Amino acid sequence: MNIQSMLGRLMAVTALLVFAVSCDSSDNNDPELDLIPINSVTVDGYTVSLEATNELEIGANQLFWKIKQGDDTITPQSFTISPIMDMATMSHSTPFDQPETDAIDDSYLSNLAVFIMPSGDMGSWTINFQFTTQSGSDISGEMPINVNSSWKIMNTQDGNGKKYFVTWFEPQRPMSGNNDLTFLVHTRETMMNFPAVSDAEMIVYPYMDMGGGTGHSTPFTPPVATGNGFYEGDINYSMSGLWTTTVELVVENDTLPEMVFEYSVIAK
Amino acid sequence: MKHLILIIGLLFTGAEALLAQQISVKVADMTTKEPIVQAHIKDGPNSVITVTDVNGMFTVDLSKYSHLTITAVGFAPKNIHLQRGMEVIYLNPEVFRDQTELLVLANEEGEQNVHAYHNRTADQGMDQFLDNIDGVSTTKRGAFGWEPAVRGQSDQRMNLVIDGMQVFKACVDKMDPITSYVETNNLSKLQIDKSGSGVAQNGTGVSTVNLVTQKAESAPTSFNLSTSYRAPDQYRTVSLSGNTSDASGRNAVRFSGSYKKAGDFRAGNDRTIQNTQYEKLNLNVNYRHTFPSKHTLEAGYIMDKAYDIGYPALLMDATKALADIGQIRFNFAPSNNDFQFNTAQVYANGVRHWMDDYGRDVANRQVMRGMYMPMYGTTTTYGAKLNGAATLFDHQFDWFMDAYMSDAFGDMLMESLDPSIQDMLIYNLDEVKTNNASLGFRHRIQLSDNVLMKIEESIRYKTLRTDSESHASFFQGLYGEAPGTRAKFLLSGSGSVLWMMNNNWSLSGSLVYSERMGNHMELFGHYIYNYTDGFFYDGNPWLKTERSINTDINATWETTGHSLSFTLFHKQYFNYIDGVLGTDSGSNDFRFKQYANVGDAVITGGEFRSFNDLGMMITLENRLSYLYAHNQTLDEPLPLIPPLKGNTTLHFHRGRNMFMADLEWAAEQNRIAEISSIEDQTGAYGIFNLTFERRWMDGDLTSIVSLNNILDHYYHTHTSIGNIPEAGRNLMVSLSYQF
Repeated sequence: MNIQSMLGRLMAVTALLVFAVSCDSSDNNDPELDLIPINSVTVDGYTVSLEATNELEIGANQLFWKIKQGDDTITPQSFTISPIMDMATMSHSTPFDQPETDAIDDSYLSNLAVFIMPSGDMGSWTINFQFTTQSGSDISGEMPINVNSSWKIMNTQDGNGKKYFVTWFEPQRPMSGNNDLTFLVHTRETMMNFPAVSDAEMIVYPYMDMGGGTGHSTPFTPPVATGNGFYEGDINYSMSGLWTTTVELVVENDTLPEMVFEYSVIAK
Repeated sequence: MKHLILIIGLLFTGAEALLAQQISVKVADMTTKEPIVQAHIKDGPNSVITVTDVNGMFTVDLSKYSHLTITAVGFAPKNIHLQRGMEVIYLNPEVFRDQTELLVLANEEGEQNVHAYHNRTADQGMDQFLDNIDGVSTTKRGAFGWEPAVRGQSDQRMNLVIDGMQVFKACVDKMDPITSYVETNNLSKLQIDKSGSGVAQNGTGVSTVNLVTQKAESAPTSFNLSTSYRAPDQYRTVSLSGNTSDASGRNAVRFSGSYKKAGDFRAGNDRTIQNTQYEKLNLNVNYRHTFPSKHTLEAGYIMDKAYDIGYPALLMDATKALADIGQIRFNFAPSNNDFQFNTAQVYANGVRHWMDDYGRDVANRQVMRGMYMPMYGTTTTYGAKLNGAATLFDHQFDWFMDAYMSDAFGDMLMESLDPSIQDMLIYNLDEVKTNNASLGFRHRIQLSDNVLMKIEESIRYKTLRTDSESHASFFQGLYGEAPGTRAKFLLSGSGSVLWMMNNNWSLSGSLVYSERMGNHMELFGHYIYNYTDGFFYDGNPWLKTERSINTDINATWETTGHSLSFTLFHKQYFNYIDGVLGTDSGSNDFRFKQYANVGDAVITGGEFRSFNDLGMMITLENRLSYLYAHNQTLDEPLPLIPPLKGNTTLHFHRGRNMFMADLEWAAEQNRIAEISSIEDQTGAYGIFNLTFERRWMDGDLTSIVSLNNILDHYYHTHTSIGNIPEAGRNLMVSLSYQF
């Protein structure tokens, strides 16, 4: 085989490889929602379904709503909700947004809800909903839900007894390596009103207790307020295992008692 | 009947031809193709059968001498299996051997001068042998797996290869230098290029050690069985090697195997050093086929398994270390074509390393207290090499192509003694990939009858990346940018001149420029503990290229029976890669550094070696080396630099008896690194060793008795991590039977 022949074959193989690579046009970037059903109720022939990415738990949850009439998904003129915790002697709500058309899948309405306590002996959660159909009919109902415990929300209070709820928003599954570190801060003005707090200063300190009196921190960027109660930074976990992150809120120059989130970081 | 007589006649004629197979062959210079006059044709190491005439021709009886060794002044010796039809044997020029030293490890007599080293005691292991070569030191962490350093440069600043193959250690704590995978009974020679001037071949311009393994030879079947015992550490070893070939000599097989086991050794003053035991098994097989076209095909495989290796200087011990190293090499027959291939080689190897501290008192130690930390590491490497020679516009040059890709992984699990503490896991290296491809050229230019110049250049393309998103994200968090694939073109070049001033004196010098990208641990290592300074190191994917310029000058004087060699060198580093203090961990127990380009550094020094035949079968050999290494940015010495050290060996050989007295010494080392490391000063020492060797049964049986550190001196070398002392007085008895 002469050199020209060898070069020819080499170029042919290269061309085939380039063609093969260029033909791989499959696009996996289309985001898809991966949801599990939470509950559904039927009122006046309309079935309202609630779905979520995981079982509901205290802390931040993204709720996905779908309304069907028979097999057809309908788009209502309006849809509002109101989560209520019934504690027998009293009831209260929790921080939440009203549902809007989901940005990824417009057959859903979605909203953020921060549950501040779990379902159980202390009380039970119900989400009251109300919507107006395109024909102008007003439909309302209530949907019982179960909210599990988790480590993702803590609370503190100032000298006047005003409560502040700090929610661990990201990372939902802390993993070795760099993670966005996002908190949500709300306060309680009334039992039914939990506005976001965006003017506090947040001091955090991650730490791993390795036993035997030893331990260490890890590189992180302190979260700063970005609006709507969000505080964003990042955290670079050096290893998997049990970590704590201490959070202090400074509100109007008053440093509130610290809160400690304790959680596991997975390897990958 | 007539046909029968004719056939019988032909058979007799053929038999006669077979019985008297006189063959005439020419010996020529591979570079110039000119005949080599007065080349020695040997049947064995010393028995010269004949020499080549003015035309480079020699004639031998093929039926008597099928396997020959050919030597000539200025050329590398060549072992060859003669075959009918063979016309020309080419020898490779070796005029730059002062920079590329040839170190013969076989326990046989050979060239006795400053160009060659011989392991005069067959019972000496690789670690000890390397440690006694001038300009070479070893970093020690116990009794096993000493890490070689050439002129104070080790690991990432030197190129350590087996038969030219890249083999990457799997242990992030450097417990498994690849020298541990080749036993001395499987070693043909060591090629040490201290200056790195062999740029075309090594591709990097850094100091290179090539462990050349023994290959199958077309020779009569032979075996060697050896065994040794050493007290008081109860070191015992048994090894068996053999070589055989078929009648045609076209198919040959060589195998070797060794097993060794040692208990805790005893330092001077009868102090037992706990946790210095080890156990090791090594197997090697090599096959060679010679084609009628005189091309040869070689296939080799090395398997090495080590168990229960104590590392008293470290936090943990190696429980198991496995290496599988395979290669296939095709050697092209010499040709006169303008473009020719010499060898083509493909290889693959895998190294796996387990270590833990389950046998340690973890509750009371200073570092990583109260937890066990089992670690695992693995590397997998595939590579190919191709080289040859070419003539272009009447200019002849050698060319070398080299490519490899390697995958590294390492993790550490932390299991707290406190049951309430969750297990922790660190990926030291996760899916870290190294790809490297290089092209090098070597030119030899005869400036005059006695001045020869050599110019080499290499261009290399190297990439490093991690395919693990979580591992990559760690560096993104640390440096604020996704590391992606780090890629660099790296250039290296060297120029060397040899001036043969007269029959006795020669002067040579070289200038080497080298560019180095950090290795996989310097770029993508995470939480890698450095025992020399007590810091955990994180990699830095954005390291700039480290550059160096090395200058070497050598003067050699040789007469019959006497020779001396004196070398001075100076190496200047730019963008020197080292650790700088990293993020505050908020703990005194964990201190971190990150790799960075810290500025400039310099290593300068020299080596002296003399060899004197004192008559009366007595020879005297002296070796001396000194290094001055300085971090110019921090204005302090570089760490782990050996002090002035040397050896004096008196060798008496008469008949079947050999007696050797050896003095090893080192001056104190007061130049220590206190900012970049936590070194302490090391005292001077001198130890005295004696060896007696006797051959029995016409040389088939050899017995060796060695008494080392006779004065039972308690000492440690400056390059011993944790100041672990060396062995005290010990006695070793060895037997070797060849059949």
